Amino acid sequence: MTSTAQQTHPGPDLAPGGTILELRGLEKKYPGTHALKPVDLAFRAGEIHAIVGENGAGKSTLIKLLTGVMPRTSGEVIWEGKPTALATPHEAMALGINAVHQEVVLCRHLTVAANMFLGEESSRFGLLQQRAMIREAQKIIDGLGFDLPAHVVLGDLTIGQQQLIAAARATVRGTKFLIFDEPTAYLTRKEADQLFKLIRRLKGEGVTIIYISHRMEEVFELADRVSVLRDGTLVGTRDIAETSEPELVKLMINRSIEQIYHKEHFTPGAAIVETRALTGKGFENVSLSVRAGEIVGLYGLIGAGRSEFVTALYGRHRKSAGQIFWQGKEVEVNSEHDAIRLGMALAPESRRDQGLCLNLPVGLNLNLPIYKRISSNLLISGAREKTEADRQIADLRIKTPTRNALASSLSGGNQQKIVIGKWLAHGAKLFIFDEPTVGVDVGTKAEIYRLFSTLLSNGAGIILISSYLPEVYELADTLHVFRRGKLVATHGFRTASHEDILSQALAEKQEKTGGQT
Amino acid sequence: MSTEAIPAEKRKRNYNALFGLTLLGLLLLMWIVLAVATPSFASALNITNLLRQGSLIAILAVGQTFVIITGGIDLSVGAIVGFTTVIVALLINAGWPIWAAVLITLLVGVAIGLFHGFGIVRMGLPPFIITLATMTSLRGIGLLMTNGNSISINSDPFQAFSRGSLLGIPYLFWMVILVAIPSYVFLHHTRWGRYLFSVGSNAEAARLSGVNVPRTIYMAYVLSGLCAAFVGVLLASRIGIGNPTQGDTYELQAIASSVIGGTSLFGAIGSVHGPLIGSFILSTINNGANLLNVNTFWQRVITGALIIVIVYFDGLRRRGGK
Repeated sequence: MTSTAQQTHPGPDLAPGGTILELRGLEKKYPGTHALKPVDLAFRAGEIHAIVGENGAGKSTLIKLLTGVMPRTSGEVIWEGKPTALATPHEAMALGINAVHQEVVLCRHLTVAANMFLGEESSRFGLLQQRAMIREAQKIIDGLGFDLPAHVVLGDLTIGQQQLIAAARATVRGTKFLIFDEPTAYLTRKEADQLFKLIRRLKGEGVTIIYISHRMEEVFELADRVSVLRDGTLVGTRDIAETSEPELVKLMINRSIEQIYHKEHFTPGAAIVETRALTGKGFENVSLSVRAGEIVGLYGLIGAGRSEFVTALYGRHRKSAGQIFWQGKEVEVNSEHDAIRLGMALAPESRRDQGLCLNLPVGLNLNLPIYKRISSNLLISGAREKTEADRQIADLRIKTPTRNALASSLSGGNQQKIVIGKWLAHGAKLFIFDEPTVGVDVGTKAEIYRLFSTLLSNGAGIILISSYLPEVYELADTLHVFRRGKLVATHGFRTASHEDILSQALAEKQEKTGGQT
Repeated sequence: MSTEAIPAEKRKRNYNALFGLTLLGLLLLMWIVLAVATPSFASALNITNLLRQGSLIAILAVGQTFVIITGGIDLSVGAIVGFTTVIVALLINAGWPIWAAVLITLLVGVAIGLFHGFGIVRMGLPPFIITLATMTSLRGIGLLMTNGNSISINSDPFQAFSRGSLLGIPYLFWMVILVAIPSYVFLHHTRWGRYLFSVGSNAEAARLSGVNVPRTIYMAYVLSGLCAAFVGVLLASRIGIGNPTQGDTYELQAIASSVIGGTSLFGAIGSVHGPLIGSFILSTINNGANLLNVNTFWQRVITGALIIVIVYFDGLRRRGGK
């Protein structure tokens, strides 16, 4: 154990630990693709090492090699000074390498405690020591500072809480090297803070952390060093203190940050939709309007009422009070059907659960909202079905072999393009995008933002919900801040500072309210 | 499916066509073997008999497939068959004209389908449960109505229909074609067909895309109920009685035919021709086993084994095809 001596270094600055894991020319080839070109990288004991890169840059491959899920093609892995095969997950775990995955891979129907000890249950005379396990689990959870009960069924917790349990679980097994793969994708800010606390604490105990994320703010908040992958190549490793977000983004995509947040300003036209004192489950008294050619950003924490507001606007939930005006006329929107008929389009937050028919063809997914239009009388026009789908695929640059490929066979970014793209042919006037770029790489993000401009130039209006502040900040012409179901502040394009907007979304304290509409 | 010459699409179409052809090939192979092995199989009498036997399950299987594509299941079709034989028998014996009796019987099937839709959409019951409940209670209602007796139908023209034939092909088989062609057009060339698939694949995504999911579910069960009531009419014509216990296990045969024909019980995958071929494969096994003097108990075992083999190979094909 060469690393134990260096375990006691506290503080946020670089842990000057010795090398715990060294990769020498680590390489992975799949038939047809070179997923990871030879990588040389040394992880220091007790550091938080972020790895960033676009989807398909090789991050997942690297994790799979490090956790023994897949064998490497060539290269050496040196663990604590000794070469190791690292050929099976079991071997990785025995060394102390663990991973917390983006999607929770636990048993939802078992209790928190049962999950924490899954596979390592304590029993006496063949009988499970259930009470003892719950006590023990509770002790661990309390010790980590999570306010969660150990005896409840895991499925009763939110996804974010489940993620915390998954992280807690990984820490109790003699872990020395812990990989987090996009752990905050489904977390609220508060849960993310708890997770960060856990990560820092593990670091304090000498655990080496690999942190993979698309969110730059988190990388800068947490990491000591950051490595950038692009097209399967390690293009650089930086000390976090000596780099900047623009530099990292440039390394990741070979493009500058201005080119990502593609923003064109259009002269706003007439109001497309307007709400007056709209109230419903989870939000109250929301008055706002969206004009043709503008992006209205809704920023706030998860659960602040933004999604509830737009789903009521879209007719999924009944409003309890207030009015909706569509192009100047008051309307009742009682179902998605009504909303779509008016000309609204909603690209939901969770594309796998709500956005796509995964085991159906790309073409069918793209045409789903417009089948009425491409049917003459009773029958679908086969030719129009094809041309519509092919046009969308070309316009959106969806990478798919044909329109008949199943949606499930596409990458996440391309799936997201379908979710958004299926509304283009529909000719909607108001587009509602709920977290459109979660889990999407920077390149695809840029394409999605470009798409926004196309929509605006065609005279549509956009409501953009995002929990990622830079996104709404750089794109929204009007930015509304939500907190606890209320619209608490309104800003113009880049008229407030990040700090102000954050504090308005978060805090009870000074309530600075910008010019209300 | 459409017919356009884009290579990749063609390949996929060929794949589906290939599976269809494999099944058809299996069916033809069974026929050839039976024709060689038994003197009576190839006789006109036996062939028409086989077509009559297979027709009823074939129509049920098509209706069932609509439901399975939405990710549901309809266990009640056998009971609907039995129940509707009683309805049509009572109506005809009460002096209703045949066309009116048939129409009303079909509407009874539609009503039962609507009830299933109501149970699933409005009461939130799983399809398995609501159709299981109908399956047992319909037989009970039928038995109450008839006091457990069979009702002889006193109408010769009604019964003559099932014995008649056109161009040497029994009317019953023409009825399969009558159902299959509109079903094919409906499933593959109308938007409602697309909606059935989309609901089976991801109901939430379909809903957010403006698909009326409740209406789509109603539609699937109504079509299944309608097909089942139609089979009830045909069966009553064939056996000349109304009896609520008729059509026993038809639902399982219909599901088996659909699955053999490539329908996925997880929804979103299915066709019309597949279940048709599937049902005639099952009928051929029964028919052939009788001719070969195979113990009838073995027929069930063979059917079970065949389901496993065919669905296994279908799964392999799908996984390999990606």
